[in-house]
Amino acid sequence: MSWEWFLPIVAAAVQAGTPIFYATVGEILMERAGILNLGVEGAMLLGALAGFWTSMVTGNPWVGLAAAAAVGSLACLLHGVVTTVALANQVVSGLALTILATGLANFLGTPLIGLPAPGFDQRPLPGLSALPILGPVLFHQDVLVYASYLLPVLVSVGLRRTRFGLRLRAAGESPTACRAAGLSVLRLRLLACLFGGALIGIGGAYLSLAFTHLWTNGMTAGRGWIAVALVIFAFWRPGRAMVGAYLFGGVMAFQLRLQAAGTTVPSSLLLMLPYLLTVAVLAASSRFRGVAGAPAALGTNPEPSE
Amino acid sequence: MNPTPLVVLEGIGKRFGAVTACQGVNLAIWPGRIKAVLGENGAGKSTLMGILAGQYQPDEGQVLVNGVPVRFRSTREAIAAGIGMVYQHFTLVPAMTVAENLALGQEGGPWFSPSAMARRVSTQAEALGFAIDPDARVADLSMGERQRVEILKVLSRGCQLLILDEPTAVLTPAETQTLFAALRRLAAAGVAVVFISHKLNEVLAVADEVAVLRRGRVVDECPVAATTSPAELARRMVGRDDFLAVDRVPLEPRQVVLRMAGVWGGGLHGVDLTVRQGEIIAVVGVAGNGQRPLVDVICGLRAPERGTVTILGQGWAEFHRTAPWQGGIGYIPEDRLGVAVCRELDAVDNFLLTTRQGFCRFGVLQRQRARQQVVELMATFRVHPPQPQLAARQFSGGNLQKLVLGREFFRRPRLVVADQPTQGLDVAATHDVWQALLAARTVAGVLLVTGEVSEALALADRLVVLYRGRVVAAFAADDEVEVARIGLYMAGAAAQEGAGS
Repeated sequence: MSWEWFLPIVAAAVQAGTPIFYATVGEILMERAGILNLGVEGAMLLGALAGFWTSMVTGNPWVGLAAAAAVGSLACLLHGVVTTVALANQVVSGLALTILATGLANFLGTPLIGLPAPGFDQRPLPGLSALPILGPVLFHQDVLVYASYLLPVLVSVGLRRTRFGLRLRAAGESPTACRAAGLSVLRLRLLACLFGGALIGIGGAYLSLAFTHLWTNGMTAGRGWIAVALVIFAFWRPGRAMVGAYLFGGVMAFQLRLQAAGTTVPSSLLLMLPYLLTVAVLAASSRFRGVAGAPAALGTNPEPSE
Repeated sequence: MNPTPLVVLEGIGKRFGAVTACQGVNLAIWPGRIKAVLGENGAGKSTLMGILAGQYQPDEGQVLVNGVPVRFRSTREAIAAGIGMVYQHFTLVPAMTVAENLALGQEGGPWFSPSAMARRVSTQAEALGFAIDPDARVADLSMGERQRVEILKVLSRGCQLLILDEPTAVLTPAETQTLFAALRRLAAAGVAVVFISHKLNEVLAVADEVAVLRRGRVVDECPVAATTSPAELARRMVGRDDFLAVDRVPLEPRQVVLRMAGVWGGGLHGVDLTVRQGEIIAVVGVAGNGQRPLVDVICGLRAPERGTVTILGQGWAEFHRTAPWQGGIGYIPEDRLGVAVCRELDAVDNFLLTTRQGFCRFGVLQRQRARQQVVELMATFRVHPPQPQLAARQFSGGNLQKLVLGREFFRRPRLVVADQPTQGLDVAATHDVWQALLAARTVAGVLLVTGEVSEALALADRLVVLYRGRVVAAFAADDEVEVARIGLYMAGAAAQEGAGS
């Protein structure tokens, strides 16, 4: 007996963490532009539904994925318009988005429960999957997991090395400075909603197209809220978000295994583990770093002088 | 030298509602020269420069750049025409590096290279003699360094006219010298510089030409070298002949309303002070030399650690435990919106903050009666607009201050403590506040804390100079020998024998 029994659990952690990872990076993009989006849970759920339904109707999971991204964008754009154009309170608007989207998704999704739809299956990457340890953990996954490996690099480069990323960050740090530089805070924030929302939608679709190939009501089960917490844990950096997401994925995978192994601990208690971890992680990261790294203008609406 | 001016203002006029900010202003700005625009608070300096920088549009007159009339609808258009302004409140992103801040407003391809930008910034900064690390976070920089970044920002967008609004307000003396050296280098390189200030010595130190603005008009414009004397410049700036001559008939000082003996606490070091009914005692000094704890102790916001404070014949603790709402202390705080009133409450509620005991019957506030009183006060103190339902923040600084004065004088105080009562007020409001303080002498003793020596001299019977928590000089306002030495006392030189009043 060696440590090899451990590898499937880590592989499962990566898979379970991936939807959270997509959603967290999407939320990071929005928050870096100054928009606090508490509607992640709702936008994810709508993405999951849109992806599943479109894939079922067209028979093509890629079309489903595109639909999920589009619906995620639209949901977050709604939040963006309400907060940057109508200057509504960001916390309230985000909560409202989650409530609205959850209700809508469950209403529209109920007839789809139990129906099959094509999705993404695990396809070992030729070559890389033969690597020891890393191969079975990272490269026996589906295409959406592989794509997510590129996210930290893409988003970091986008934020730090492009003019657009620079401006997007300025919109989240100091709308005043942004405006003094002749930029439109409104436009930058709406674009952040567009891109961030697409990632959140894809995160939702991962649940219905790859993690399972099914639709169930409320299938995000709080993963959107975990993403909101992970943004703080990650100090608004996509690389750290990856670590955090896999950590949560690990806890989820672990408690599933424990249940499967027939432990005597009640399953309801095991199901709580990821959320307990959320609370612990939030308390610890706030204790040790405060809110360092938070965009200075996060959650605030600039004066309507544009 | 270039034979044509870079920018010409012709007959510029601007009104905000009923207030005329500037009127018939003509000004020529030449490349390679530093022009100081000198004037008191509210003289129209900032409005005039705001028009140049595209913040405001003039109601009358026109702006010509290189002889061509222009009309800016935004600061962006002004920058495109080569006119950039460094505001008192910086517009930098603190969490970003210097290089990132400079790249923010610039056009260019989709990619941003921090290292290439850093090299460009370094080259640019060196040419100006600025020592700036392009990779430093703005949040870690001093105010002086941030200002240099702002200047670089304006220049890197190709501006030929650099406007600085009160640039030395946030700087230490050493940083001020660095700034002046940089401005001279800029001028030598052919940039036109406009420097807004109300500090005479700075203007004389750095400017080539000075334009004196008073009540929105240019009253004087000449090369600094031809200025007859700083005193003459000061006289023109404040217009003492027609304005500063408030009628101050000395009154017979009567009973003592405040006596402090050897008071310590919060940075005070054995302060002695006496205020009698019928007189105004001015406390002058550089800000931060004990003015705040002095006022706090008198008004009961801070307990004296040692020494005795006697207010209206009662000890400090006894008086403040049972301070009467009428016939006690009237306090006019320095921080108008933060301490004197609540921003969001209307004029009536703000009035009731300190006078509610007078409008209470069986535990119920008589708001209607208070409202009538506020309407009356608004007429007496010429508060504009005379609408008691407006929130405190909706009044201009001067009108809000008159409301506070009206409220405090309604309490018929026998001791008035006025902390920087005319700071940031326009000329007319300043005049009204001065008149009110002089009138208060008939029933009260007035302690006036001010940073403006001219204000102290215009109003006070006696002056007290604070330096590092000590009274270093105390003398009558008509003692010309001592008055001439105020600057020395404020700088801490030559503590006077037997200081105290």
